[in-house]
Amino acid sequence: MNEQRRVVITGMGTVNASSAGGTDAVLSSLALRRSAIRTVRTFATDGCPSRLGAEVEELALTTRLHPDVGRRLPRVCQLTVVACRLAVEDSRIEGGPQLGVVVGTEYGDIRSTVDFVEGFIRYRHSGLSPMTFPNVLMSSMAGAAAIAIGAKAPSVTVNQATVAGDLAVARAAALVAGGRATAVVAGGVDELCEALYRRLAQMGALSPMRGMGVEGCHPFAPDHNGPVLGEGATFLVLEDLAYARARGATIRAEVLGAAWGNIPTAPHTARRSRADAHSPVLRLLDHSGIAPRALARCYGSGNGDPEVDDWERALLARDLPDDSCRPGLWPPVSLAPLFGQHAGLGALRVAAGALDVTQGTGPVLVHGIARGGCRTAILVGSPV
Amino acid sequence: MTGIVVSGLGVVGPYGAGAKTFWAGLAAGACPIRPITLFDTDGFRSRIAAEVPADVVAGLVPSRRRSRADRLALAAAHEAVADAGLSPRDLARAALIVGAIGGGMLEGEDWYWEETRTGRPSPGIGALRSILPSTHAETLGHELRLGGPKETVVMACASGAASIALGADLIRDGVVPLVLAGGVDALTRICFMGFNALKLLDPEPCRPFDRTRRGMSIGEAAAFLVLEDAEHCQARGGRDYGKLRGAGITTDAHHITAPHSEGEGMIRAMTLALDAARVTAAEIQYVNAHGTGTQQNDRTEALALRRVFGDGGVLVSSIKSMVGHTMAAAGAIEAVATLLTLQHGVIPPTVHLTDPDPEIPFDCIAGVARPSQIELALSNSFGFGGQNATLVFQK
Amino acid sequence: MADGGRVGVTQKEVLDELKAILVERLMFDPSRVAEVTSETRLPAGVEGSLGLDSLDFLELSITIEHRFGIVIDGETQDLTETFFSLDSLSRFVLGRMGVA
Repeated sequence: MNEQRRVVITGMGTVNASSAGGTDAVLSSLALRRSAIRTVRTFATDGCPSRLGAEVEELALTTRLHPDVGRRLPRVCQLTVVACRLAVEDSRIEGGPQLGVVVGTEYGDIRSTVDFVEGFIRYRHSGLSPMTFPNVLMSSMAGAAAIAIGAKAPSVTVNQATVAGDLAVARAAALVAGGRATAVVAGGVDELCEALYRRLAQMGALSPMRGMGVEGCHPFAPDHNGPVLGEGATFLVLEDLAYARARGATIRAEVLGAAWGNIPTAPHTARRSRADAHSPVLRLLDHSGIAPRALARCYGSGNGDPEVDDWERALLARDLPDDSCRPGLWPPVSLAPLFGQHAGLGALRVAAGALDVTQGTGPVLVHGIARGGCRTAILVGSPV
Repeated sequence: MTGIVVSGLGVVGPYGAGAKTFWAGLAAGACPIRPITLFDTDGFRSRIAAEVPADVVAGLVPSRRRSRADRLALAAAHEAVADAGLSPRDLARAALIVGAIGGGMLEGEDWYWEETRTGRPSPGIGALRSILPSTHAETLGHELRLGGPKETVVMACASGAASIALGADLIRDGVVPLVLAGGVDALTRICFMGFNALKLLDPEPCRPFDRTRRGMSIGEAAAFLVLEDAEHCQARGGRDYGKLRGAGITTDAHHITAPHSEGEGMIRAMTLALDAARVTAAEIQYVNAHGTGTQQNDRTEALALRRVFGDGGVLVSSIKSMVGHTMAAAGAIEAVATLLTLQHGVIPPTVHLTDPDPEIPFDCIAGVARPSQIELALSNSFGFGGQNATLVFQK
Repeated sequence: MADGGRVGVTQKEVLDELKAILVERLMFDPSRVAEVTSETRLPAGVEGSLGLDSLDFLELSITIEHRFGIVIDGETQDLTETFFSLDSLSRFVLGRMGVA
């Protein structure tokens, strides 16, 4: 087996519906516990079964982007570039062949895809925009971020429902642990755009699912009836511990381990009864030698989608029965009510865990499960 | 530390279904790039592509609700898994990494065009569920009952190669002994229109490394490899198509479409791959090039090859001259081609190469396949905007 | 502009259309474009230029071709001088329209 390096978190950057900035901004938006979910303002929701969303304040983005840079970047790339820059500044890490990027996203740049297609549908050949086309590839955000921060190690994009950000952090930890990069800026981004919002609402994927109950984000609650979309970008700098120490970086926390897996189930389904034969949670605890009782907190991907919430509860109950854990570990903490469902949540969860451990708590588990069975587990602890 | 072997292959591409059919086409130097039938191409400068033949698609897994790309993925993945002789128990622990870009966009486009044309909601909205690149991993994870780490990687034209490299990392890092890794892309209007808009497509079948080359030809395919820990493979008596000795993944961080003018990221990807493989450039006998046929790529790739191997220091060919640029599948289908090159001792040609570019001082196997016992080969995938992946294979 | 305006088209009209393209297709801020003159340099790497790169020029060319009904052949010709400033570009367009 390849020698595995230790991985620590040395910086954070976020542009979300609640805040924008480095570690301080992440901390303040978590501490405030104020939901950024409100009625969507940037487009009309007439005739739409859903109305709520967590939108980024435009100034939070535009004031952080030089017009020359922002001009050519579609909004989802702007969010990515700004958050990655903030993380890099927070970390004081330098660009170069040792710095990588991993971007998790659920929807990529739907806006540019629609714009590109609409250009042709409306104006035929004269409506085709060569400038817009590259943004149709989901790898465009990672590409733009790599240019902005000078990241010349692998720049990878991972596409996944619900836990894209978690998966990105896990993959980034593997890149650093395995030596493909000394540091990786990892996290997730999604943007709210009308085309996406309307279609998802039309397909019954948003609260109120099946038109039942009051619209809202209530993970794990009896009245949970679907997710509420948010948008934003949150990135962490994951770094080889030895390098972080050598350059005198501020080490926030250690990623004690990261694992992911799959529970075979039909696409887009979440079945509470489906057990996980190879739980990444158990693999992780076993590998790190940490007992369930040591876990101080658990963050989960449950976002108000009833089937996802229930499945997450069931999976964690099987892996970590009540009597093996400290009281207060259940239900997992969801950040969806604060920021809305988007790929940035995964990194926000890991960031929250990192901030918990800097306050002296024991190790924190960041768990994720998505419709279709992708399951993630990241363990965050205090570096010794 | 044991090595990583390739114990299964699966391909569906412009020649048809199956790795055997694929190899037969390559060895014959056949070029299936022809006028597109899947959608209207009126008024576009380049109107050709390497399509998977209609009768082949019709013969794949029953379609009803599945996108074309998902069907290609299923066929290639099933073949790879069967070829490797994997049991349900093996699959339950196997990881899955899929390189993808277009996802089920073709059917999404059908729905959108229909809605726009009629002005009424189209019942085909269900196509949206399969539109994202992650659709293939979701489908395969379910159909093949794969219980290990599942991931969809998007890295432009290097997606297929990156999946193989990142999949191998899971074995190297001791996470799983088995990985199903590959790439998938079906033709889409967006891809066709976009590359036409960028003026990167040749109106005729592409001519990589030719002095008068005018651009790429697009194609579609799905290709999967079963990567396996060598000891694990030996213990169960699995097949051995060759070893994945090493991989390099880099980023130019230069421009969103153009490569670094000196091929800086390409050179690093190849160098890292060689270092990981613990082989020198002199030991590599063949490079399966990215070789898209654009002026810029081929020139830059040649510069990078010269820096790493020296002028004429290695045999080079591009199978994109035959199967076109299969986007996210490219790195994977070219990995399969490289392994079959090692297995058969025949190097697939670069077809349509009649006037070699003097700035590309390599023997590019013009026109006809060449028998040659190759022990060590390298496969390059240099994506749009400088996302690079290089794989080193050994017989 | 595209189809009917060949006769009597002035350089100013062409310049105004180019400025519109800078906003609509190249995503420049209208206030930035309002400051632009015919002397404004275009290519990146030139002091005080608008900083256009190859992708910008491609977008610009294609839009110009459609809006003015002309052909810009970038494959056989070196267009570096043509695309140097708005002045050189607008003269080129007029020339192709058979007006200048």
